[in-house]
Amino acid sequence: MLVSILILLVVILIFPLVAGYLVHLERKVLADFQVRLGPMRVGPYGLLQPIADALKLLLKEDIVPTVADKWLFLAAPIVTLFTALTSFAVLPFADSIVAADVNVGLLVVAGMGAVGILGIILGGWSSNSHYPLLGALRSAAQLVSYEVALSLALLAGVMAAGTLSMVEIVQAQHDRGIWFLFSNYGLMFIPFLIFVIAATAETNRAPFDLPEAESELVAGFHTEYSGFRWALYMLAEYANMFVISAVGATLFLGGWMRPFPNVTWLGPAFDYALPVLSIAGTGAASIWMAGKLQPKLPRIGLQIVGGLLILLAGPFLVPELNHYLSGFFWFFFKVGAMLYVFIWFRGTWPRFRYDQLMDIGWKRLIPLGLASLALNAVVGLL
Amino acid sequence: MPNSYSETYFPVLLQMVLATAVGFALVALGVILGYRVKNKVKDSPYECGVQPVGSAKERFSVKFYLVAMLFILFDIEAIFLYPWAVVYRDLNHGANRMFGFVEMLIFVVLVLAGFFYIWKKGVLNWQADPGPASVPPAKAPAAYSLSEK
Amino acid sequence: MPANLWPSSTDLLRFGPEILLTLVGTLMMVLEPLLDNKRVFRTLSLVTLLGAIGVTMAAHGVPGLSYANMIIVDGFATFFRLLVLGVAILTVLLSGDYLEKEGHETGEFYALLLFSVVGQGIMACANELIMVFVGIEISSIASYILTGYLRDDKRNNEAAMKYFLLGSFATAFLLYGVAWIYGLTGSTNLNDIRTVLSSPNFTNSASLVGMSAALMFVGFAFKVSAAPFQSWAPDVYQGAPSPVSAFMSAGPKAAAFAVFIRVFLTAYGPISDTWVPLVAIAALATMTIGNFAALRQTNVKRLLAYSSIAHAGYVLVAIAAHSTVGTQAVMFYLASYVFMNVGAFAVVTFFARKGEQYVNIDDLSGLAVRQPAMAAMLTIFMLSLIGVPLTAGFFGKFYIFKAALDSNLVWLTILGLLNSAVAAYYYLRILVVMYMREPGVATNNMDEAPFALRLTVWASALATLVLGVMPGLLLDVAGRWVLALGR
Repeated sequence: MLVSILILLVVILIFPLVAGYLVHLERKVLADFQVRLGPMRVGPYGLLQPIADALKLLLKEDIVPTVADKWLFLAAPIVTLFTALTSFAVLPFADSIVAADVNVGLLVVAGMGAVGILGIILGGWSSNSHYPLLGALRSAAQLVSYEVALSLALLAGVMAAGTLSMVEIVQAQHDRGIWFLFSNYGLMFIPFLIFVIAATAETNRAPFDLPEAESELVAGFHTEYSGFRWALYMLAEYANMFVISAVGATLFLGGWMRPFPNVTWLGPAFDYALPVLSIAGTGAASIWMAGKLQPKLPRIGLQIVGGLLILLAGPFLVPELNHYLSGFFWFFFKVGAMLYVFIWFRGTWPRFRYDQLMDIGWKRLIPLGLASLALNAVVGLL
Repeated sequence: MPNSYSETYFPVLLQMVLATAVGFALVALGVILGYRVKNKVKDSPYECGVQPVGSAKERFSVKFYLVAMLFILFDIEAIFLYPWAVVYRDLNHGANRMFGFVEMLIFVVLVLAGFFYIWKKGVLNWQADPGPASVPPAKAPAAYSLSEK
Repeated sequence: MPANLWPSSTDLLRFGPEILLTLVGTLMMVLEPLLDNKRVFRTLSLVTLLGAIGVTMAAHGVPGLSYANMIIVDGFATFFRLLVLGVAILTVLLSGDYLEKEGHETGEFYALLLFSVVGQGIMACANELIMVFVGIEISSIASYILTGYLRDDKRNNEAAMKYFLLGSFATAFLLYGVAWIYGLTGSTNLNDIRTVLSSPNFTNSASLVGMSAALMFVGFAFKVSAAPFQSWAPDVYQGAPSPVSAFMSAGPKAAAFAVFIRVFLTAYGPISDTWVPLVAIAALATMTIGNFAALRQTNVKRLLAYSSIAHAGYVLVAIAAHSTVGTQAVMFYLASYVFMNVGAFAVVTFFARKGEQYVNIDDLSGLAVRQPAMAAMLTIFMLSLIGVPLTAGFFGKFYIFKAALDSNLVWLTILGLLNSAVAAYYYLRILVVMYMREPGVATNNMDEAPFALRLTVWASALATLVLGVMPGLLLDVAGRWVLALGR
């Protein structure tokens, strides 16, 4: 119980920071795609930008339109945030590092996702303004359309695992010695593909970011929001991205397990060498990059961060801790990979038109989802 | 190891409370720290710079209602399949081989029949509706000419 | 996990009629957007319903419990299955030309009709409260939509909305009753509930059990339009398309009575002292309200709606008798009522014409001059509804009041007979208008009735007369297939 509370507190306290750096990562990666530098002013290589942004949002004026429904206007972003954060309680970050190992963990996540739509509708409706209402309606229609496809994709994984508990899903993949993505002779790729597409739409990310289509709807359902109320929506969006990536990683990519979990001789390489090398390598790279900076303060700061990262690699070498730490490493590695893919989508594809969006959801993904479910059901028996 | 039902779910409840509290706290912090100037125009709904016309709580396209209803139907279908998916492997032993599969197939085929029906009836079409054929296209306004003065 | 989950071929056969109807109904929905010729659906649904009758008879050959005791195939179930299938066939015959005339003939109508019959079939053979609920829901939801079928018609819309809101409310009561009895006895199976309730070890208070029975009574009373839950019926029957009114006043009602009897005689049989007075009072109230309200009606459909309420009251009298003879009387009465009522609505359908313009009693003036055959048929139905000898209605009422007398419900019998006398007034008024008045605007320029409609009317009239002359034909069947659980 104490461990659970500790995990929850860490999640709650750290998450705003993580979300801030996710935004930063997104800006940097997008900048790379577009051959520019991205934020560079605040801190070394712009690394303090998220903190500056958070301070700015806190100090911004909090505007509530006179015609808005005051209480719903306040409640809406909180509902969205609370549904997004609650899902964290059932995510298994590493072996036995999970706040609540409930037997229907996946349903908790799916249910919270469904309730989250309410926050968006409430926000759009309570603003009592045209653009937010239209944005909220579009958003709700989009979310419910892709919710079905998402459920159908998850079902394929549930069918393979035979349980709804997030921990037992990972355990099932361990017992079978294969990530579900590769099981059923590769046929699980179809639900995974559906999952990734639906997840992109569920998190309102490009190319499915119509609810916030600037050119048509100003900013969609949160047009009237400013200051930290707006920031809550942003926090929730990134929390949702994280959660949905974590669900994908857990259900299809083996959760906290390293690749080939049953091949013992790969252990040293994947449990020790790779995490240590990548973390210490990042630290070394930071120190090297810091050397290129002219001003003294940022240079020393970045060197200290680099040193800390190298030190952080140390615990991985302790065999007692390695079991948990390598679990963390692989879990966040997989989640990070999926998040990168989402950002990649945004950097690559233009936005869909609304009728195309609904067509993809209803006329392509749902029949495909049902077909892949049936296919995996019959192949899974072989 | 927590063993009772309520003990297992307690962290989820705790997280709900914590998340709500954090949400309120952050908004409150923003309200306290933020600099505030009341202004009648600034506090009016955003309308791209023009005066807002009427209330925003108007009627909107019936399509959204249809999508909401279809969502309920299909999401319930998916929810029905969850318990089935969990016991799927147990439903296929010995004499029951393929039983789980056939049961699901019957259910899915019945749902697909409904899906086919709504598809063909055009419920899923979001392109601009050309409207009833009997309504003549709106006439373009006559060209402005000086002689009409 | 049980060793074998596959349903046996006997199971499939026992549930065969419903399976067949569901499959064809679904097929119709798939074919609907693909076929331009909507007349196909008439034929398809007729063939299916006839096929379902065949399957019902085949299922009757292997009576017994099926699907974990959830459904039961016995004579009682077969009787009501055949009854609702018969109603559906008459409705299909009646609807085709009506819908074509209104320009709304589509596959959905027939698909919904079949689904509704599926629900009624399940109600007839349900041996489990959850199945009862599922059956009622399937039947009701399809009827809600059928009520509002001509969706551009305001009367249809109003009727459908009223029916839907009140109906779902009543079903909630039913479900609450199911939950209550499940909590008290730990079972939803009718036989198990009976066993628990009659065992001397059952310690729960009788008032709690009575409460669950009362809640379920509310649900059933709504479905059979018994007082004090009858107020929806006139509005809905008046607003709905006439063939749908014919269907609703016969099929769902008969099925609701079937499930009412099965639940109260089987599950609540051991506590009959609690509910018999309730049903008797409801019967009296239903008869009286139905008959006295019908006196003042000017709209024929509304009048028939009140008459249908009154007839539900007569049937409740037989249920209050709580005896095998009473149940037998209910079976006979419902079968004969189906024919006379559907027949009467068929004549109204014919007479009302496009858009249902002529539905007032005064519009019928002089019908006997212009359409003597139709007028004669309507006369037969009206006389049968009154209960004049040589018609089915006479023997129906006779057996019901005989059953009531056998159970010492003398006061109810007397009041029931007085009610029948009141009823004669408003039925005869229609005859007077038809035969004694000059033809008016409405009766001039009438087209010949379409063949299918004439077939419906003739068949109903024939059945009414045959049952009136030789009631033994049906009574013997009812006697053999009756649910022998009463006193």
